[in-house]
Amino acid sequence: MKKYLILSVFIFAVFSASSSEAFDFGDISKHVGNAIGVVDTTAKAARPISDEEEYYVGRAVAAKILGTYQLSNNKELTRYVNLIGKTVAMNSEKPFTYGGYHFAILDTDELNALACPGGTIFITRGMVNLAANEDELAAILAHEVGHINKRDGISAIKSARWTEAVTIIGTQAAKTYSGGELSQLVGIFEGSIDDIFKTLVVNGYSKSQEYAADESALRYLAKSGYDPNALNDFLKRLATKGKSSGGGITQTHPATSDRIDKISGNIPSGQVDRKAVEIRTARFNRIPK
Amino acid sequence: MRIKFLITLSLLIILAPVLLLAETATVITKENAIREYCKFFAPVKAQVRYNDVLEILSTEGDWYKVQFGQSTGCIHKTAVDKRTASASGSFSSRKGSGVSENEAALAGKGFNPQVESSYKQKHPEMKYHLVDNIEKLLVSDREIEQFVTQGGLRQP
Repeated sequence: MKKYLILSVFIFAVFSASSSEAFDFGDISKHVGNAIGVVDTTAKAARPISDEEEYYVGRAVAAKILGTYQLSNNKELTRYVNLIGKTVAMNSEKPFTYGGYHFAILDTDELNALACPGGTIFITRGMVNLAANEDELAAILAHEVGHINKRDGISAIKSARWTEAVTIIGTQAAKTYSGGELSQLVGIFEGSIDDIFKTLVVNGYSKSQEYAADESALRYLAKSGYDPNALNDFLKRLATKGKSSGGGITQTHPATSDRIDKISGNIPSGQVDRKAVEIRTARFNRIPK
Repeated sequence: MRIKFLITLSLLIILAPVLLLAETATVITKENAIREYCKFFAPVKAQVRYNDVLEILSTEGDWYKVQFGQSTGCIHKTAVDKRTASASGSFSSRKGSGVSENEAALAGKGFNPQVESSYKQKHPEMKYHLVDNIEKLLVSDREIEQFVTQGGLRQP
């Protein structure tokens, strides 16, 4: 009797293990495989875009923005902004994107910063000049890296476009499209770029997306070794200057006073190395702007 | 004696699929590097490109220890799409960033270079050449490392 009991326990153990995803056999594997297929389809329908696609969307959005704004030729400042931005991005949840992070300066007095999907980030000359030091500049860039990490740009695309795109992408196994399908995809692509451009430049993200990007920025700053209070300091200055400048960030972002209220109390505690802040401020001041 | 035999047999049946499991990771960035140890500025042991398949050996924080050809080293989790192949040949996929879609299955589909090319032809006014220039600006690991150190910042 005891022998049969032990045998039964082992047979049960074997079959229990076999029914899990890692131990699938025969028919069981078919069911598990089907289940995985269903999960995959659901995931694609919910957010059917790969990092590679996001990169091509981001390039088009950047190309469109550069049709509106001039690109700054200040190479030293551009390199400096890239060093700060890449440092912050390395300390984000997503240090790597398909095409990497790139930072560029728009030659305008307007106060704004824009994150294109995939990792290209623009900051205006006006915004750079409003920052008092490197830590504040890092805070602006960290906020934009937050938008990229959360894929906020992609979320601006109307859901109807995804439904249409999934139909084409889902039925086409090949990586090259022909005739009608290509034309349809280009149309969806075009519409997606317009959706994102309008959100970035005219309407802005939702308040919750902006607050979340501020929260992300605080984390990235603290992790990088920048002073997270710099975001608060910058927003206070923006609250004053932004009102008089009009347009740009004041048009597309929630009231700066609300952003200040939201982040106060969430600023990570920890000792700030004041001497290091001074060193960074000195190098910030050495860069021609 | 018979029970011993059954125990051994059962354990073999349970463990066999585990031993057969192969965890692989597909590179989902245009290019990336396998590093000597699991740090951003560690020396590069091998360059990898989009869609290269790496064998996962172990996990260390936000990094995978991987094998690629003759090279063994580390790659950041967000640079790859991890796939677990079961003994039956079915796959489950998980991206390092925690996104559940299968990046590798979507590779090259949808908005790809062909779509961009057609869009460019339709919209010659788009400043793609400036975007290319922005992407061409390379900042080396060494430069970022020096920038971090000199500014009293923390290495990730």
